[in-house]
Amino acid sequence: MKKATVPAIVSTALVCFIFWLLITGQVASLLRGEPSAQVLIAGVIVSLAAALFSARFFIHEKPFFFANPARLGKLIAYCFCIFPIELIKANVDVARRALSPSLPVNPGIVKVPVEVKGEYAQAMLADSITLTPGTITMETVEEDGQDYYYIHWIDVASQDGAEAGEAIKGTLEKWVRRIWE
Amino acid sequence: MIYVIYVFIGISLFFAFAGVVGLLRMPDAFCRMQSSTNISTLGVLGVIIGGILYSAIFLHNAEMAIKLAVMGIFYIVTSPISGHAIAKGAYRHGVKMSRKTVCDQYGEDMEK
Repeated sequence: MKKATVPAIVSTALVCFIFWLLITGQVASLLRGEPSAQVLIAGVIVSLAAALFSARFFIHEKPFFFANPARLGKLIAYCFCIFPIELIKANVDVARRALSPSLPVNPGIVKVPVEVKGEYAQAMLADSITLTPGTITMETVEEDGQDYYYIHWIDVASQDGAEAGEAIKGTLEKWVRRIWE
Repeated sequence: MIYVIYVFIGISLFFAFAGVVGLLRMPDAFCRMQSSTNISTLGVLGVIIGGILYSAIFLHNAEMAIKLAVMGIFYIVTSPISGHAIAKGAYRHGVKMSRKTVCDQYGEDMEK
């Protein structure tokens, strides 16, 4: 495991501090214009201490990757617009299967090739796939430089890897690649 | 405005109901997990969005709304990881898949 660099610690501490502000309710106090200095100073100390120990687990590549506004905009668009649409479509589909009297399921595990590179991008894509009802990522493997996911799919429309991949993660994969390129 | 909140909570209740029905009716453990994802995505998010709107508009309590949003974020970030771990653990432990299963490329590749 690599040792943590100073930028990595700073970026982890920043994220920790933002969550400290959210959880202690300081954001509302800041909006009212009466922040408590005591809580803010304690937050800086605690988040720096937490970052010292945990930065090497979180940051393996560029620490300030999302400091770029265009990239951050794409991430926000994905989280609040693209992904929820896919999520609602998949939810309606699985709810329809569960409630329909004949229970039209067709389950199976398919092996799908993945085009995105980098561990963050792959983790994000795998989590997105698992979060949509109807598909669960069971394992990721690498064979001859090409990455594959094993995905449990409730309605196997095609056993061919490329076609199944297009049906499961077509839009998601395009956006994840665009965010992390 | 209160009716918008009713709509969000109603959607959430519907998907939670569908998830529970699926949990009882699906043929094997893996399909049951698929159905329970219904509850853990729209089932939870609908209630959380309804709660955020209610605490921000009717209770004028920004702290509560922000905490609910943080809860939603943590829920969405952690739930797929546990789902993946349970599915993989169940498969490796030898939980049988139902007879309706059409293909199992994971098992085929593991035997090689």
